Amino acid sequence: MDLVEIKDLLRRNDPEFWPHLKRLTAQAVDFDDLIFLSSLRRKAAARGLVRPGQAAPLRLAILGGCSLYPLHELLSHLLETDGFACDLFLGDYDNYVSEIMDPESGLYSFRPQVVLVIPGVQRCRYAGAITDSREEAQAAASGVAMQLLDLCRRVHDNNGAEVILGNFMLPTRRDPGEFRTRTLTSDWSFRKWVNLELGLNAPPFVRICDLEFLATRLGGLASEDRRGWFESKQPCSPALLVELCREAAHLIRGLRNPPRKVLALDLDNTLWGGVVADDGLEGIEIGDTSPRGEAFKAFQNCILSLKQRGVLLAVVSKNDHARALEPFEKHPEMVLRAGDFVSFKANWEPKSDNLLQMAAELELGIDSFVFVDDNPAEIEIVRQFAPGVTTILLGSDPADYAAQLQDCGLFEPRGITTEDLQRSGQYAAERERQTLAASTTDMDAYLASLEMVATINDFTPVDVPRLAQLINKSNQFNLTTRRRTEAEVASLIGCPDHVCLSVRLRDRFGDHGLISIIIGNKNGPALEIDTWLMSCRVLKRQVEETVLNELARLARGKGCSHIEGVYLATPKNEMVRDFYPRMEFEARLVTPDRGDFVLDLASFLPRDTRISVRTNL
Amino acid sequence: MNQAEVISRLQSIFDNVFLEPPVLTPELTAAEVPEWDSLLHISLLVAVEKAFDVRFRVGEVEATKNVGEFADLIARRKKER
Repeated sequence: MDLVEIKDLLRRNDPEFWPHLKRLTAQAVDFDDLIFLSSLRRKAAARGLVRPGQAAPLRLAILGGCSLYPLHELLSHLLETDGFACDLFLGDYDNYVSEIMDPESGLYSFRPQVVLVIPGVQRCRYAGAITDSREEAQAAASGVAMQLLDLCRRVHDNNGAEVILGNFMLPTRRDPGEFRTRTLTSDWSFRKWVNLELGLNAPPFVRICDLEFLATRLGGLASEDRRGWFESKQPCSPALLVELCREAAHLIRGLRNPPRKVLALDLDNTLWGGVVADDGLEGIEIGDTSPRGEAFKAFQNCILSLKQRGVLLAVVSKNDHARALEPFEKHPEMVLRAGDFVSFKANWEPKSDNLLQMAAELELGIDSFVFVDDNPAEIEIVRQFAPGVTTILLGSDPADYAAQLQDCGLFEPRGITTEDLQRSGQYAAERERQTLAASTTDMDAYLASLEMVATINDFTPVDVPRLAQLINKSNQFNLTTRRRTEAEVASLIGCPDHVCLSVRLRDRFGDHGLISIIIGNKNGPALEIDTWLMSCRVLKRQVEETVLNELARLARGKGCSHIEGVYLATPKNEMVRDFYPRMEFEARLVTPDRGDFVLDLASFLPRDTRISVRTNL
Repeated sequence: MNQAEVISRLQSIFDNVFLEPPVLTPELTAAEVPEWDSLLHISLLVAVEKAFDVRFRVGEVEATKNVGEFADLIARRKKER
């Protein structure tokens, strides 16, 4: 790693230091490089070199059965260079059980938002005899797992923190030989069983930091470091520590940032070998007739499996539209077909323009797009002109394309919801609806023909993951853009001072799923709207009016005389600046950043809509 | 490799890592260099093992009192290879 330039930037107190540090940190592989970069970051802060705006710091507690130094240094460096400044609480060495059990401990007065627990591997052994029965060992392994999950639950119950729990690396030494596989009493089998129990039983507020997987990926021998343990109680080798911290940082970012939604793909030399317009349908390499063709086919299969778990696929290609479609329609070896894509742009416009246009058409934020191309020039133009898009430049060997996509970490599901699986179908149904709208000049008749049914209920535990997902990803139709973790959402359930509505919509073409969320807070005679958001898929369907009718009814039922709404401007929610006035709220105070509005319930008359309502409220 | 040769190679590693690199002498200790904190120390040790292609035994780096002793240790481990 070339450190001359960044050291120069720091010596000159040049603010360019920060983006440079971020870039080097993202690229760094070696432990010593990262530790060194972290020491530069500390020096920069000590010299008062101002860094670009950072969000409010994340309160992160780290506990474990090992030394947390330099683990915490590495982890906070990775998070801070990525815009997540941290306030840290560090547990004492191997004291995590009592820190968690004691409600008076420093851990709880710190009020952590996220707690990372790395349990000591020394505690994950079967204590009985090697001759004990499978049932005895199994019960012991389940016991270890349940005890750890119980600790996580205590942390969570105390103040709602999310927990990231490390599981156990497997032993690397041969002893006791082949017998290790025949018994659950060996460390090898016992730890595997504990790890399985941990993952399979982890509640939604626990994310597993899968050390077994990370060490397997890196290699067991390269992951352990006995000297480091004896000298300073290091949990693993420096190389695995880097992997552990990168994974933990990735999981922590994932608590706030939703996964991407759209995978936009180039065609020539990306989905097949060759250029279809030059080589012709017969000339392109795809399928089992050649090794290169097999590699491209494997890549397509990998893409298809992403689609099957809810990722939307799109094409962005510099091509003649008809020629580009040909392989999808006529080539027998193609895995992907035209119907697999929610958008197909093959033309001569810049790819950045195509992506921006696609985002507008699909009513999705540009930052939910991932763009894949084999051509560095195309990647560059997208980086410059559609900077919200995450780009993947494919390497030089098609054999590795699938692996590149599988390692990108951009489409990791947080527990797959049914809505995710229906999404691609929903977009197909939307195309049919738009066709119908085009053929129906009378809007009212069109809306009536949709036969819409809204189900409006209060929050339920089973909805929490989907509610949190929507709360954390909605940008455009979102009056206040207040984000909440799953734990924060769950805490609203059954709260008597709140009116929490989840709104689902279906029509004769299909189910839109959960599309709108309202959180109201009763404050004396006022119902204050804390959160009002809606999926842009259902704009202009009278959902807002329908929801307001329900909200007014419920507010009256709670003895409120008026509803108060606030609009907080963000770069993305311009579309709802006039939302409350449109709903006939009266403006009280309006500035460019904020608007306060009020609706008098005494004079409110329910709106007429074409949506029939089902509700349990 | 004698002590002086090791120290001269160490100097280039230190030049790379420190913002204001100290001039290495056999008598120098970490305590005399404000920038040489525990964090930089960890980074240095890994960098030294890589650069010299040696692996220290458990506890022996901690037992060295100054740059000279550390250089002697590197020379000893290097000779074994």
